[in-house]
Amino acid sequence: MLRTEHLRKAYGSTVAIDDLSVDIPSGRVGLVGANGAGKTTLFRLFLGLARPTAGSVEVGGRRVAEDPVGIRARIGYMPEHDCLPLDQSAADVVATLGELAGLPARAARQRASDMLDLVGLDEARFRAVGTYSTGMRQRTKLAQALVADPEVVLLDEPTSGLDPSGRDEMLDLVARLGADEMSVLMSTHLLADVQRACDHVVMLDAGRLVVAGGTEDLLDTTGTILVEVDGPSEALVAALTGRGLACAVSGGRVEVTAPDADAGLDAIRDEVSELGLPLNSLATRLTSLDEVFVQRAPR
Amino acid sequence: MTATSSTSAGRVYDRGYRRYDGPRGGRWAAVRALFLGSVRRALGLRRSWKQKVLPWLLLAVAAAPAAVFVGVGYVTRDTPAAEFEFITYRDYVGVSTALLLFVAVTAPDLICPERRQRVLPLIFSRPLTGRDYVLAKAGAVFAVVFAFGFLPQALLFVGQMLVSDAALTYLRENAEVLWQAPLSVAVLAAFLALLGTAIASLATRRMVAAAALLGLFLVSSSVSGVLVAGGDSSAAALVNVISLPLFVRDLVFLGHIGDDTPLGGLNGGGALAIACYLAVTGACVAVLLVRYRWAER
Repeated sequence: MLRTEHLRKAYGSTVAIDDLSVDIPSGRVGLVGANGAGKTTLFRLFLGLARPTAGSVEVGGRRVAEDPVGIRARIGYMPEHDCLPLDQSAADVVATLGELAGLPARAARQRASDMLDLVGLDEARFRAVGTYSTGMRQRTKLAQALVADPEVVLLDEPTSGLDPSGRDEMLDLVARLGADEMSVLMSTHLLADVQRACDHVVMLDAGRLVVAGGTEDLLDTTGTILVEVDGPSEALVAALTGRGLACAVSGGRVEVTAPDADAGLDAIRDEVSELGLPLNSLATRLTSLDEVFVQRAPR
Repeated sequence: MTATSSTSAGRVYDRGYRRYDGPRGGRWAAVRALFLGSVRRALGLRRSWKQKVLPWLLLAVAAAPAAVFVGVGYVTRDTPAAEFEFITYRDYVGVSTALLLFVAVTAPDLICPERRQRVLPLIFSRPLTGRDYVLAKAGAVFAVVFAFGFLPQALLFVGQMLVSDAALTYLRENAEVLWQAPLSVAVLAAFLALLGTAIASLATRRMVAAAALLGLFLVSSSVSGVLVAGGDSSAAALVNVISLPLFVRDLVFLGHIGDDTPLGGLNGGGALAIACYLAVTGACVAVLLVRYRWAER
């Protein structure tokens, strides 16, 4: 759905994006990186609001540089910062932005109503945005991004400033959107948000790609197997060490480092069987995305 | 459709996200939407009554002279007062400061909040360019100022026609006014709209932009007044920013700069006036285009 090739964006001597080549698939994708990692710049490049210093950007197979205005008609965008006119109601704001995206006035009004329903703004939609809480403003921003039914929606830190329950609701909304034939690219610096709401993840650090892939795939790559047996585990540790596997005991469980997960599992199964130990659990340890980021980001 | 909760009083449905497969406009539809939204805002439509007061009050002020002249003409139609003369269409183009006040209030109101409240990223994430934005915003100010400037002229014309002894004769004898008046008002409206939006684009606060615009009018007219104090024709009259569209108006109505103006009688005064008018409006367009070159940053 979204693609960059050797993309570079520099503002003077500051490099925001550096040789970024990534293929972002359809579905729910998390764009992760610390502040200043280049997430917002990447969004601006997808929207055609910034020109690449080098390389190319594609949306839906079309090069953004060739038709940035046409591309913007296919994208919904939710900025991170406050961006709503405070003296207008959410209903007016969303309908107006729907019209600006090309919807006829009547359809824009109807879509605005539907989208504000979807994000949970009911009667409050007729109040001035200036009277809204942070959560209500975030919802309004999400509604305006969806009002023109875009093919892909770019959400820049949608959970920013939300309390825990607001964050849960926003992530639920994002997860539901991705299930509705719409592609969602959500930027965040909270890996837990991606782990919860996204199928794929793209990690950036200082404008460079750290890793990209399926969330579950990345979580499978720890190389650690957790074994829990009934009884003392010293004999098992000794046997596995003898096979060249590094072991550590933590919290009553044996953590086995196995570069080849399948071979490691086979070895553990065989040793447990030979030692006659009752096996309580045997599982590949799933790492968190935080750990993936820490492991792969350049020092 | 999924029922998410129900009570004895009814049932709430989560309709989920629904796709839109209706018609879609392109870039011009977006420009039109932005233009119409800006016109509505300038007129206070879909806003509180407080925001409606000023534009309609200023329209009333702009139209008041026409109404008064037509009224007096009607009342005295059978016994015309010896010294009563209708205001000329040429004079009416620049007679009211209501238009200046309107632009000083409206242009910043259309431009500044969107910059101050950082709405521009939302607007430019739509299929619009910076030029489209400038066209829609300056076009909206132009349209409303033109309407506010032309409606009183139309009222004056129709009123005089009806008050005259022979309406058709009046129409025939004053037929040139039918293009001179709208063209002159358009010249004035374009000047004020571009100047107002350009200055507003440089400020984030409405008050600052309004003060800057009114200050420019005041200072330039004062400086010009001092420079041409001797009473002779002088090119220094061109320093008065607000007089520039009125000099062009003279060219439209009279074919030359009016003798009752400080530029009247100056050789090449008309060409100078047009050159200054184009220079100011051109500079305003350049400022606006530079301020909204979003897609090229």
